[in-house]
Amino acid sequence: MTSLPTLTAKDFKSDLKPIWCPGCGDFGVLQALYRALAAIGRPPHEIAFISGIGCSSRIPGYTTAYGFNSVHGRALPIAQGIKLARPELLVLAAGGDGDGFSIGGGHVPHAIRRNIDITYIVMDNQIYGLTKGQLSPTSPKGLHTVTSGYGSLENPINPLLYTLAYGAPFVAQGTPADMAGLASILEEAIRYPGFSFVNVQSPCVTYGEECQQVKAQKTKMKPLASLGHDASNLLSALDLSRSYGTELYTGVLYRNPQPPPSMDAQVVERQQRLAQGALPRERILDLFVQK
Amino acid sequence: MTTKGIDFGKLSLKDALDLAVLIEEEARDRYEEFVDQMRQHRTPEASRFFAFMAGNEEKHRAELAERRGELFEDQPVAVTREMVFDVEAPEYDEARAFMTVREALQAAFRAEKKAYAFFSDALRRIPGGDVKVLFEELRQEEIEHQRLVLAELEKTPPDPSIRQDDVADEPAAL
Amino acid sequence: MTRDLIIGMAGSGGDGIVSAGESLIAACAAEGYHAIMTKSFGSQIRGGESSCRVRLAIDPVLNPGGALDVAVALNWEDFLKFGAELPVGGETVVIYDSATGVPPEKVPLTGISPSEVFAVPIGEMARKATGTDKAKNTVVLGLLSGWFGIVRDGVMKGMRKKLAKKGAEVLEANERAFQAGIDYAAAHPLRTSRTMEKPARPGVKLLTDGNDICAAAAIFSGCQFFGGYPITPSTEVMQLLTREIWKYGGAVLQAEDEIAGIGAALGASFAGKKSMTATSGPGMSLKTEVLGLASIAELPLVIVNVQRGGPSTGMPTKSEQSDLFQAVFSGHGDVVRPVLAPTTVSDTFDVTVEAFNLAEKYQTPVIVLSDQEIAQRKEVIDPIDTSRFTVVDRLRPNDAELEDYARFRLTDSGVSPISHPGLEGGNYLGAGIEHNEQGDPTASGAMHAKMTAKRFRKLDPLRERTDLFRIEGDPEAPLALISWGSTAGVCREALQLARAERLKVKLLVPYLLHPIAEGVYRRFFESVKAGLVVEQSYQGQLYRLLRTQLDLPKGLRPFCRTGANPFRPREVVDTLREAVLSLQRSVEDARQPQE
Repeated sequence: MTSLPTLTAKDFKSDLKPIWCPGCGDFGVLQALYRALAAIGRPPHEIAFISGIGCSSRIPGYTTAYGFNSVHGRALPIAQGIKLARPELLVLAAGGDGDGFSIGGGHVPHAIRRNIDITYIVMDNQIYGLTKGQLSPTSPKGLHTVTSGYGSLENPINPLLYTLAYGAPFVAQGTPADMAGLASILEEAIRYPGFSFVNVQSPCVTYGEECQQVKAQKTKMKPLASLGHDASNLLSALDLSRSYGTELYTGVLYRNPQPPPSMDAQVVERQQRLAQGALPRERILDLFVQK
Repeated sequence: MTTKGIDFGKLSLKDALDLAVLIEEEARDRYEEFVDQMRQHRTPEASRFFAFMAGNEEKHRAELAERRGELFEDQPVAVTREMVFDVEAPEYDEARAFMTVREALQAAFRAEKKAYAFFSDALRRIPGGDVKVLFEELRQEEIEHQRLVLAELEKTPPDPSIRQDDVADEPAAL
Repeated sequence: MTRDLIIGMAGSGGDGIVSAGESLIAACAAEGYHAIMTKSFGSQIRGGESSCRVRLAIDPVLNPGGALDVAVALNWEDFLKFGAELPVGGETVVIYDSATGVPPEKVPLTGISPSEVFAVPIGEMARKATGTDKAKNTVVLGLLSGWFGIVRDGVMKGMRKKLAKKGAEVLEANERAFQAGIDYAAAHPLRTSRTMEKPARPGVKLLTDGNDICAAAAIFSGCQFFGGYPITPSTEVMQLLTREIWKYGGAVLQAEDEIAGIGAALGASFAGKKSMTATSGPGMSLKTEVLGLASIAELPLVIVNVQRGGPSTGMPTKSEQSDLFQAVFSGHGDVVRPVLAPTTVSDTFDVTVEAFNLAEKYQTPVIVLSDQEIAQRKEVIDPIDTSRFTVVDRLRPNDAELEDYARFRLTDSGVSPISHPGLEGGNYLGAGIEHNEQGDPTASGAMHAKMTAKRFRKLDPLRERTDLFRIEGDPEAPLALISWGSTAGVCREALQLARAERLKVKLLVPYLLHPIAEGVYRRFFESVKAGLVVEQSYQGQLYRLLRTQLDLPKGLRPFCRTGANPFRPREVVDTLREAVLSLQRSVEDARQPQE
């Protein structure tokens, strides 16, 4: 594993021009991510960045890392396969709230409970942007969209409560309205040894409401540090997470002070332990010899 | 807009100059990103304006860099871009597809005001000496820039009542 | 002396009848016989009806065979539930527990007069030997040993190994039960001797099934990741790998669902490791989207489909060959991928190794169409010389290519060198979206045409792979059999029967089902006037697939039916004769003068 502390944000910026609408919150997320990766110092070729489908899922292509813009909702399984196959890589997964919590929702609990050392970044804008403004699993009840013309009848999923309840050892929320804060959160999440989840309130400038945009977020946001929140207190984190949708808490909600061993670390340990017992590959059929 | 890891009370002149260079650099890069965004979204007039602003920021950067070079030659730079966040650079959400030149000017104006506020705030923590002189000068320049932008704004005709947005096609589903 | 014996046994799950079959086949292997064992169950997890067939022979066994030579019924109610699997005929020796109260003249086999019937006090003998009637299956093994001259030493040795932990008393009791069966057989000899010949040169044998040997082949090929989900009848592939793959620096993920399974496997391939998933029909349906992703991202991946009765949940424990259309056609867009099919437990090894080689060489998903029969039947096979296989690795970019690396460079062959995370200079964006040579997303018609052509042309060399076809019989024969998968084993035996009956037949077994090697088929068909495409599907999927791309001889027709109704060599020969007759008739009719 190489570490070059002289990497800058520019080293992570690819030549591909983002297709995002000007004003999209994802620009801020991307910039914050460049900063975080520069601070961590792993070179781009040691980073695998996997996404699903959606506006925010385009993000790997805008970095110089190895990217994999896969299919809708399946970033987490693919990322886990990559990390288990090459545990030495720095593995990131990203997508939107629909990609992650609708079609991809079935994969979230398992990625968390396996505690594989990857960082999952969800750009949560409570809408389906790429496909023209449909309801998303985090859309508030009553929201009028092209698929809920009379107002949504569904209660939204709470990504913060959900991930905490499934046992994620690191859960944070950020917003591009506080770029320095977001870069810090992302850096800390990536450094955390185990599954880390960062929900970013990244507003959609084309389909979102005025009150969701970055300008409004600047006044609404409540940094957890300034509230005196103790991030090692799970119950307190769970309590705060219940205000998802009404309050915009930013910062680390929960950080398990004793990071549980990650699955990938345990796999490596098992591989090392069992290696002596291996038949040479050419003699693998000895497993079936009848004496 | 913020900085990270800078103790203004203990800032050296070299660091202060380097910081100023980085601030201009960040602003220049941001305007260049906006040039690309506007071009991609077929908003040429705003694109041209942002190119003009990028050029301005580059000019300021070059001037400051030259000054730094005269005073400190090849001495290593101790401050990094990672310490600077949207100080003079307009924030990403200032850009909009189909924005008018007037709106672009207003965004630039807000960015200059931010820069002014930054230097004011920093000055409150700088005890004195060369750094104080430098920052006061830079703050003064920001006022100049604001005046220039306002002057441009005055020359710019009011935005038509029909916005491009009203006429433009609906967003595409991708 | 008998050289080939088919034994069928049935009882309830608690009787340990399948366990007896397993002891029997293990003993066969130890003594040097070739053998195949298949099992069949009712729908209860335990304690329902259960049965097994063991066919043992001096020569390699080609398929489970037809009517039984020996039928063992621990009770008639359960035995009769297996009419299709355990067909009794005029040559069958029937052995059953007299405790059923059925007199030998009144055995409930309507319309059949078996050659010999023995009502044996099996339960009583077990009780006398061990104090409980639980050892019935051991008594049965003794009877078989005594009457057919087989496996005496093998069974004893196997019992000692299996019961070692249970203590001397239990072992001795079982040995008594076994001996009781042998003694009974000696006291009541068969009217016509059916003693099995002893193998001349026993040698070492392997005992395994299609699923296990598939997993072993994966390890041999250097597979380092398996992602999958439990589904009958493929789960054993994953299970063997969960025991072994860590020893080779690999990992298994039993994922939360089929999609996550193939997703993780694809990720591992993207990371540069040889990777695999295994499933059955329903899982293939779920995996279809990621299969397409693998194709457009040009990533190597082996997908094993152990076919079972379909559609939907279908018949999880029954074999069928009805997923060929899915393997070839499923997935939206213009997609092509190699499809291979093994025919026996032994060649499942060869085919799986080839699948990994093709996947790596052509940077593509490769589907291996196994079927429940091959996957779950135990087979005693001769050792395989692994030194005759070459293992292929993916083409990686050299230093010069990394200077200006384009992951999807439009090469003449269509294969572009592939990098992986960790390789400096090889950074690229892999994606499901259409892309240019660099991997950047594109919606350009011209580039899409070029990229699609690249993905198709890279597989063209497969059309020349004559080594992935086996032709047996006279190359000029006018009669033909074509068969794939487990059915090929039946047709191999049918070929022997037919030739013994002076029919001029040849057999084509394709291991490569897709892309279609048109040249191979055309050359095969040159001499053919009539024949059958024999396969286990309602639609005759290979027959129809061939018709989409080739002109078939007029007299070549499908002989196909749904699963859980296996083909037997005899009926294949009879149906072939019918096909010939009907062709002759139509030729004669055409010659008749107009009335």
